[in-house]
Amino acid sequence: MLAMSHAPQTQPPAFASVLDPASLQRLHELDPEGANRVVERVLRAFETSLTRLLPQASQALAQGDHEMLRHVAHTLKSSSASVGALELSRCCSEIENRLRQMQFDGLAERLARLNAEGGRVLAAVRSLLPD
Amino acid sequence: MTPALPLADELAAKPPEVLLVDDDEVNLLLTAVALRERGFDITEAGGGEHALQLLADWAPDIIVLDAMMPGLDGFATCRRLRAMPGFENVPVLMLTGLDDDASITRAYQAGATDFFVKANQWSLLAGRLQYLLRASRTRIELERSQAKLARAQDLARMGSFDWRRAGAAGSGGSLMLSAQGLRVLGHGPGDHVSLRGILRLVQRAERRSVLRLLQGVAQHSSVLATDVPVALPDGRQRIIHVEAEPEFNEHGHSVGYTGIVQDVTDRRVAEDRIRHLANFDSLTGLPNRRQLVWRMERAIEHARRLGHPCAFLLIDLDRFKIINDTLGHAAGDELLMEVALRLRACVRHSEQVTEGALEAVGSRAHRTLEAVGRLGGDEFIALLPEIGDERDAQRVADRILEVMRDPVLVGGQECFVTASVGIAIFPRDGTSVADLMRNSDVAMYSVKSQGKDASAVYSPQLAGRGREKLELESALHKAIERDELVLHYQPMIDVRSARMVGAEALMRWQRGNMLVPPGDFIPLAEESGLILPLSEWALREAARQARLWKNSFGFDNAISVNLPSRMFERSDLVDQIHQNALSYGIPHRMIQLEITETGLMKELQSVIPALHQLKEIDVEVAIDDFGTGYSSLAYLTTLPISELKIDRSFVRDLGVTPQSSGIVTAIIAVARSLNLRVIGEGVETLRQMEVLHRLGCSLMQGFLFSRPIAPDDLELWLKQTVLPRRAPWIGQANELDVGGLAPRALGGRPF
Repeated sequence: MLAMSHAPQTQPPAFASVLDPASLQRLHELDPEGANRVVERVLRAFETSLTRLLPQASQALAQGDHEMLRHVAHTLKSSSASVGALELSRCCSEIENRLRQMQFDGLAERLARLNAEGGRVLAAVRSLLPD
Repeated sequence: MTPALPLADELAAKPPEVLLVDDDEVNLLLTAVALRERGFDITEAGGGEHALQLLADWAPDIIVLDAMMPGLDGFATCRRLRAMPGFENVPVLMLTGLDDDASITRAYQAGATDFFVKANQWSLLAGRLQYLLRASRTRIELERSQAKLARAQDLARMGSFDWRRAGAAGSGGSLMLSAQGLRVLGHGPGDHVSLRGILRLVQRAERRSVLRLLQGVAQHSSVLATDVPVALPDGRQRIIHVEAEPEFNEHGHSVGYTGIVQDVTDRRVAEDRIRHLANFDSLTGLPNRRQLVWRMERAIEHARRLGHPCAFLLIDLDRFKIINDTLGHAAGDELLMEVALRLRACVRHSEQVTEGALEAVGSRAHRTLEAVGRLGGDEFIALLPEIGDERDAQRVADRILEVMRDPVLVGGQECFVTASVGIAIFPRDGTSVADLMRNSDVAMYSVKSQGKDASAVYSPQLAGRGREKLELESALHKAIERDELVLHYQPMIDVRSARMVGAEALMRWQRGNMLVPPGDFIPLAEESGLILPLSEWALREAARQARLWKNSFGFDNAISVNLPSRMFERSDLVDQIHQNALSYGIPHRMIQLEITETGLMKELQSVIPALHQLKEIDVEVAIDDFGTGYSSLAYLTTLPISELKIDRSFVRDLGVTPQSSGIVTAIIAVARSLNLRVIGEGVETLRQMEVLHRLGCSLMQGFLFSRPIAPDDLELWLKQTVLPRRAPWIGQANELDVGGLAPRALGGRPF
């Protein structure tokens, strides 16, 4: 099953720097027996969503579609927080807030940071999912 | 609110159904899992469009909407679903981002019930959902119970109101009426109605007293319960029942009233109708006897308290019976209605009595007692609750006599009706309703006996006639209609065969427990003319009895009825007898008539035609008390009569004085020579019977055989005395018969 089920461990696992263990623990508590494979389903859904949304964000920026960008940021903000990708969530939040306040400068750097962090989160999530 | 309502139970047993709408699969999945974990039945939708599709044929208990969604976002979805029938009140929880104040405002504007900041705090979310569901259930239950209440109130034409007292600042009190309450008062659900506005609906005459009542109630913080007549804005006249209880604040000060208004018009109309039927005469609409007696009692009480006189005028129509008999009852009713109208105009007639005010000292409310009422038949009463003196009553009586003198058109025919009015005045002529009624009756009757169409005030020595006699006469007047008269029968005996050969009918008056003998009322009846209706009744009753006896024991003789000579002067006597015989199915000969010798001789010329007619139809006539008058033998020979009855005074002295037997012998001789039957009256002893028989008279009646007795007793007497041949006179009679006197045939079958 999931590596998560071996937690807690003395050495923080590799994904721990990207995914908040406490958040993952809360996920795990939703289905402590694993009978519904909730954690796996959530992580898979997140992986799918992230895989879809990251390119969408880049495309939105390229097309100057701020509304689309804002929506991607908003969606990703709450789902990444749910799986413990707190840094990613913060990136999203920052973009969303700027857009809401009509601050359109510096979006490219922030999107680059979002993509980089997104890549790390994607790798961490994949490491937790069975093949 | 009691939680244990069926709806709550039903929902508690079933997990609440939640529609969860979020475009983000991760969140959707997580939230769904978390909420299922907490006992909710979750249906997921990935967007607004999908959600609305689901709602087309399904109604969840609660809807959770993500605010930010591509396409149809949470706000638009919420607005759409609120517009769908049945979703006006379903709870909607909007999920918004943190610090997103704009979304919160938009959520409420879109019709969301509440908002919730998106976070992974599932317990908080579940708690919020539970809270919203509970509020929703409470709301549904409340709506149901309000709907039920509204329906019930509508059915009862009832609504509630709430009145707050004016504040310390002196602002006017405020009135809140429920929609039903507004409807009761003829207003629409949205109308604003003030207390002042409502008071304006109250009928002018009542407004002051209603206002006084309200002020009194408010001042004492007492319970309010009253009926108020109102004219609604659309002009309908209704009666509104108002009932309210005071409400108090924590300091015990009354802060206002809560209560109900109810349209009770229909009930009141029905009650009034019942009261009217019980208190008013249905033909004339005037107060009836019961209502009159009630008013008279009130009037007497009031007059006693204030020390003034009051008057009762008894009005009896003259000749009403003749009109009724000749023109029919419908015409009689028409006449009574017209008379009622005329009489009403003679007094300040009050339809209704203002009852409550009667007790108030110094009030003039007793004047509303003044009225004309109908006691029954053709008898009316005018009640004057306050008069100065006798002359006031006399004036009203004069007015009554005056209005009656105009002809009345009934059945297309002009009739002349007059009235006799008797006046009795409280306290002089009596202090109770019964006394005053009786004395007004006595006064009225004195008018009747002195020619009618006048009025008289009661006095103990009315026209020099004794009060008792007047009362007696007045009572006798009613004896026939009250069925107080009876006939008793004294058998006539043929002593040769010891059989009954007929019976004489003798009138008795059953007055209360007393049986008044004829001597005490027949002379009075003769004097007043009442003898005519009494005689008519006797003829009818005798025919009826003849029929009954014919049925029960084969009676086939005659019943003999005493008639005054005046009856023989009436052209319809023969017709009456014929009609009676016809109605009861008996032959004419079963009725025989008796006229006194004195009566016959006095009116001889006018009686003779009737005697001839009677003979033609086989009705025999006997001359009663024969020997006391001054019969002209010349006439006797020509009169169509059948029998002489020897006066009891001669029979009494038989065997005592020689003269008496001489007279009896002479009478018997006359009878023989004229071929008349002869019968001895007043036979009390065997000696009298023996002598009478010896002298040639075998037909007798008297106490020796039987006193006059009730018809049933006569049957018993026949059965127990005559048929078994048990009486002492029977043996004696047989012996006499052996004595060899010539037997004399007598018609009819002997008993």
